[in-house]
Amino acid sequence: MSRFRIGDRVTVRDIPPVFHTRTQGYTRGRTGVVVSLRPEWVIPEDEAWGRYEGRREPFYIVRFRQQDLWPDYGGAPLDTLETEFSERWLAPAS
Amino acid sequence: MGTKSSSAYAALMECVRSHAPAEHGVANLPLSISQTRAEALLHVVHDVGGQPDGPIDKSLHKPAHWEKSTHCTAECLAWRGHWVSEERRRRENDLGEALYFGTPYYARWLLAAAKMLLDKGLITPDELLAKMEEVRAREEIAA
Repeated sequence: MSRFRIGDRVTVRDIPPVFHTRTQGYTRGRTGVVVSLRPEWVIPEDEAWGRYEGRREPFYIVRFRQQDLWPDYGGAPLDTLETEFSERWLAPAS
Repeated sequence: MGTKSSSAYAALMECVRSHAPAEHGVANLPLSISQTRAEALLHVVHDVGGQPDGPIDKSLHKPAHWEKSTHCTAECLAWRGHWVSEERRRRENDLGEALYFGTPYYARWLLAAAKMLLDKGLITPDELLAKMEEVRAREEIAA
Protein backbone atom coordinates (compact mmCIF):
# COMPACT_ATOMS: atom_id res chain seq x y z
CA MET A 1 0.00 0.00 0.00
CA SER A 2 1.50 3.32 -1.06
CA ARG A 3 1.91 5.89 1.69
CA PHE A 4 1.78 8.87 -0.68
CA ARG A 5 -0.67 9.92 -3.38
CA ILE A 6 -0.24 11.85 -6.62
CA GLY A 7 -0.11 15.54 -5.76
CA ASP A 8 1.36 15.05 -2.27
CA ARG A 9 4.19 17.39 -1.38
CA VAL A 10 7.15 15.37 -0.10
CA THR A 11 10.61 16.19 1.25
CA VAL A 12 13.55 13.90 0.49
CA ARG A 13 15.13 12.61 3.69
CA ASP A 14 18.75 13.52 4.27
CA ILE A 15 19.95 10.14 5.51
CA PRO A 16 23.44 8.69 4.92
CA PRO A 17 23.76 6.79 1.60
CA VAL A 18 25.56 3.83 3.30
CA PHE A 19 27.92 3.39 0.33
CA HIS A 20 25.28 2.92 -2.35
CA THR A 21 22.01 4.55 -3.27
CA ARG A 22 20.13 5.80 -6.29
CA THR A 23 18.97 8.91 -4.42
CA GLN A 24 20.82 11.86 -5.89
CA GLY A 25 22.70 14.06 -3.43
CA TYR A 26 21.19 17.22 -4.90
CA THR A 27 17.67 16.12 -3.94
CA ARG A 28 18.40 15.58 -0.22
CA GLY A 29 16.32 17.86 1.94
CA ARG A 30 14.47 19.27 -1.10
CA THR A 31 10.71 19.35 -1.49
CA GLY A 32 8.77 18.33 -4.58
CA VAL A 33 5.42 16.89 -5.68
CA VAL A 34 4.54 13.24 -6.33
CA VAL A 35 3.52 13.00 -10.00
CA SER A 36 3.47 9.24 -10.55
CA LEU A 37 3.31 6.00 -8.56
CA ARG A 38 5.60 3.14 -9.53
CA PRO A 39 5.20 -0.55 -8.72
CA GLU A 40 6.80 -2.06 -5.63
CA TRP A 41 10.32 -3.33 -6.16
CA VAL A 42 13.36 -4.33 -4.11
CA ILE A 43 15.10 -1.17 -2.90
CA PRO A 44 18.45 -0.41 -4.60
CA GLU A 45 20.23 -0.41 -1.22
CA ASP A 46 19.43 -4.15 -0.92
CA GLU A 47 19.84 -5.23 -4.56
CA ALA A 48 23.25 -3.56 -4.71
CA TRP A 49 24.59 -5.88 -2.00
CA GLY A 50 23.19 -9.13 -3.34
CA ARG A 51 19.90 -9.13 -1.42
CA TYR A 52 17.83 -9.82 -4.53
CA GLU A 53 14.80 -10.82 -2.43
CA GLY A 54 15.27 -7.87 -0.07
CA ARG A 55 12.87 -5.21 1.18
CA ARG A 56 10.19 -4.28 -1.36
CA GLU A 57 8.77 -0.76 -1.30
CA PRO A 58 6.59 1.42 -3.51
CA PHE A 59 8.49 3.85 -5.71
CA TYR A 60 7.44 7.40 -6.61
CA ILE A 61 8.29 9.85 -9.35
CA VAL A 62 8.75 13.27 -7.72
CA ARG A 63 8.83 16.55 -9.63
CA PHE A 64 11.01 19.40 -8.36
CA ARG A 65 11.35 22.98 -9.51
CA GLN A 66 14.88 23.35 -10.86
CA GLN A 67 15.16 26.59 -8.89
CA ASP A 68 14.60 24.59 -5.70
CA LEU A 69 17.47 22.22 -6.54
CA TRP A 70 20.16 24.61 -7.76
CA PRO A 71 20.75 27.90 -5.94
CA ASP A 72 22.28 29.52 -9.04
CA TYR A 73 19.87 28.00 -11.59
CA GLY A 74 19.89 30.21 -14.68
CA GLY A 75 17.04 28.68 -16.68
CA ALA A 76 13.34 29.47 -16.84
CA PRO A 77 11.46 29.55 -13.51
CA LEU A 78 9.00 26.96 -14.86
CA ASP A 79 11.73 24.34 -15.48
CA THR A 80 11.29 21.09 -13.56
CA LEU A 81 13.18 17.86 -12.93
CA GLU A 82 11.62 14.45 -12.24
CA THR A 83 13.35 11.56 -10.53
CA GLU A 84 12.46 8.39 -8.66
CA PHE A 85 12.62 7.39 -4.97
CA SER A 86 11.74 4.38 -2.90
CA GLU A 87 9.30 5.16 -0.10
CA ARG A 88 11.92 5.21 2.69
CA TRP A 89 13.52 8.30 1.19
CA LEU A 90 10.36 10.44 1.37
CA ALA A 91 8.63 12.27 4.22
CA PRO A 92 5.50 14.45 4.12
CA ALA A 93 6.51 18.08 3.47
CA SER A 94 6.05 20.21 6.55
CA MET B 1 53.84 -13.70 -18.15
CA GLY B 2 56.09 -12.06 -20.70
CA THR B 3 58.99 -9.85 -19.72
CA LYS B 4 58.73 -6.10 -19.75
CA SER B 5 61.69 -3.89 -20.55
CA SER B 6 62.77 -1.35 -17.92
CA SER B 7 61.94 1.53 -20.24
CA ALA B 8 58.47 0.14 -20.85
CA TYR B 9 58.02 -0.18 -17.08
CA ALA B 10 59.18 3.41 -16.59
CA ALA B 11 56.61 4.56 -19.15
CA LEU B 12 53.95 2.55 -17.32
CA MET B 13 54.86 4.18 -14.00
CA GLU B 14 54.67 7.62 -15.60
CA CYS B 15 51.10 6.76 -16.61
CA VAL B 16 50.35 5.49 -13.08
CA ARG B 17 51.63 8.78 -11.62
CA SER B 18 49.22 10.69 -13.84
CA HIS B 19 46.36 8.97 -11.97
CA ALA B 20 47.73 9.76 -8.51
CA PRO B 21 46.13 12.73 -6.78
CA ALA B 22 47.78 15.97 -7.80
CA GLU B 23 46.86 17.49 -4.46
CA HIS B 24 48.31 15.91 -1.32
CA GLY B 25 47.30 16.74 2.24
CA VAL B 26 49.65 17.20 5.18
CA ALA B 27 50.10 13.45 5.26
CA ASN B 28 49.21 10.81 2.72
CA LEU B 29 47.57 8.82 5.50
CA PRO B 30 45.73 11.46 7.56
CA LEU B 31 44.66 10.58 11.11
CA SER B 32 41.50 12.63 10.69
CA ILE B 33 39.63 14.46 7.93
CA SER B 34 36.84 17.01 7.90
CA GLN B 35 33.20 15.99 7.74
CA THR B 36 32.89 17.65 4.33
CA ARG B 37 35.94 15.78 3.02
CA ALA B 38 34.54 12.50 4.35
CA GLU B 39 31.18 13.08 2.67
CA ALA B 40 32.90 14.05 -0.57
CA LEU B 41 34.99 10.86 -0.52
CA LEU B 42 31.90 8.75 0.21
CA HIS B 43 29.81 10.48 -2.47
CA VAL B 44 28.34 7.85 -4.82
CA VAL B 45 30.49 8.03 -7.98
CA HIS B 46 27.63 7.81 -10.49
CA ASP B 47 25.79 10.74 -8.82
CA VAL B 48 27.23 13.40 -11.14
CA GLY B 49 24.29 15.85 -11.16
CA GLY B 50 25.42 19.43 -10.71
CA GLN B 51 29.04 18.77 -11.59
CA PRO B 52 30.53 20.72 -14.50
CA ASP B 53 31.12 18.76 -17.68
CA GLY B 54 32.12 19.41 -21.26
CA PRO B 55 30.04 18.86 -24.39
CA ILE B 56 28.70 15.33 -24.83
CA ASP B 57 29.78 13.35 -27.90
CA LYS B 58 26.41 12.25 -29.35
CA SER B 59 27.82 10.47 -32.39
CA LEU B 60 26.71 6.87 -32.71
CA HIS B 61 29.24 4.30 -31.54
CA LYS B 62 29.32 0.96 -33.33
CA PRO B 63 29.88 -1.63 -30.57
CA ALA B 64 33.07 -3.66 -30.92
CA HIS B 65 33.00 -7.43 -30.55
CA TRP B 66 34.45 -7.33 -27.02
CA GLU B 67 31.79 -4.81 -25.98
CA LYS B 68 28.97 -7.05 -27.22
CA SER B 69 30.58 -10.05 -25.51
CA THR B 70 30.84 -8.09 -22.27
CA HIS B 71 27.17 -7.12 -22.40
CA CYS B 72 26.16 -10.72 -23.13
CA THR B 73 28.34 -12.04 -20.31
CA ALA B 74 26.79 -9.60 -17.83
CA GLU B 75 23.26 -10.55 -18.92
CA CYS B 76 24.02 -14.28 -18.73
CA LEU B 77 25.43 -13.86 -15.21
CA ALA B 78 22.15 -12.14 -14.27
CA TRP B 79 20.11 -14.86 -16.00
CA ARG B 80 21.92 -17.46 -13.89
CA GLY B 81 21.18 -15.45 -10.74
CA HIS B 82 24.72 -14.34 -9.91
CA TRP B 83 23.92 -10.62 -9.84
CA VAL B 84 21.41 -7.96 -10.91
CA SER B 85 22.02 -4.68 -12.72
CA GLU B 86 21.89 -2.70 -9.46
CA GLU B 87 24.73 -4.78 -8.04
CA ARG B 88 26.74 -4.22 -11.21
CA ARG B 89 26.10 -0.50 -10.86
CA ARG B 90 27.34 -0.57 -7.23
CA ARG B 91 30.39 -2.59 -8.25
CA GLU B 92 31.23 -0.12 -11.02
CA ASN B 93 31.09 2.71 -8.47
CA ASP B 94 33.30 0.69 -6.14
CA LEU B 95 36.04 0.59 -8.77
CA GLY B 96 36.85 4.11 -7.55
CA GLU B 97 37.11 7.40 -9.41
CA ALA B 98 40.38 6.63 -11.24
CA LEU B 99 39.04 3.46 -12.87
CA TYR B 100 35.46 4.70 -13.20
CA PHE B 101 36.33 7.88 -15.08
CA GLY B 102 39.45 6.51 -16.76
CA THR B 103 38.11 3.37 -18.46
CA PRO B 104 35.72 2.82 -21.39
CA TYR B 105 32.07 2.14 -20.56
CA TYR B 106 32.19 -1.63 -21.12
CA ALA B 107 35.61 -1.98 -19.48
CA ARG B 108 33.83 -0.97 -16.25
CA TRP B 109 31.28 -3.75 -16.80
CA LEU B 110 34.10 -6.20 -17.45
CA LEU B 111 36.08 -5.24 -14.34
CA ALA B 112 32.94 -5.37 -12.20
CA ALA B 113 32.05 -8.82 -13.57
CA ALA B 114 35.54 -10.23 -13.01
CA LYS B 115 35.66 -8.96 -9.42
CA MET B 116 32.15 -10.27 -8.71
CA LEU B 117 33.13 -13.74 -9.96
CA LEU B 118 36.21 -13.69 -7.72
CA ASP B 119 34.32 -12.26 -4.71
CA LYS B 120 31.70 -14.99 -4.90
CA GLY B 121 34.21 -17.77 -5.47
CA LEU B 122 32.72 -18.63 -8.87
CA ILE B 123 36.20 -18.54 -10.41
CA THR B 124 39.67 -18.59 -8.87
CA PRO B 125 42.40 -15.97 -9.47
CA ASP B 126 44.47 -18.74 -11.10
CA GLU B 127 41.69 -19.49 -13.59
CA LEU B 128 41.30 -15.79 -14.42
CA LEU B 129 45.05 -15.26 -14.89
CA ALA B 130 45.34 -18.40 -17.02
CA LYS B 131 42.51 -17.16 -19.27
CA MET B 132 44.05 -13.68 -19.53
CA GLU B 133 47.39 -15.26 -20.53
CA GLU B 134 45.59 -17.41 -23.10
CA VAL B 135 43.84 -14.40 -24.63
CA ARG B 136 46.99 -12.31 -24.55
CA ALA B 137 48.88 -15.03 -26.45
CA ARG B 138 46.02 -15.53 -28.91
CA GLU B 139 45.71 -11.82 -29.63
CA GLU B 140 49.52 -11.42 -29.64
CA ILE B 141 49.36 -8.49 -27.21
CA ALA B 142 52.88 -7.39 -26.27
CA ALA B 143 53.62 -7.78 -22.55
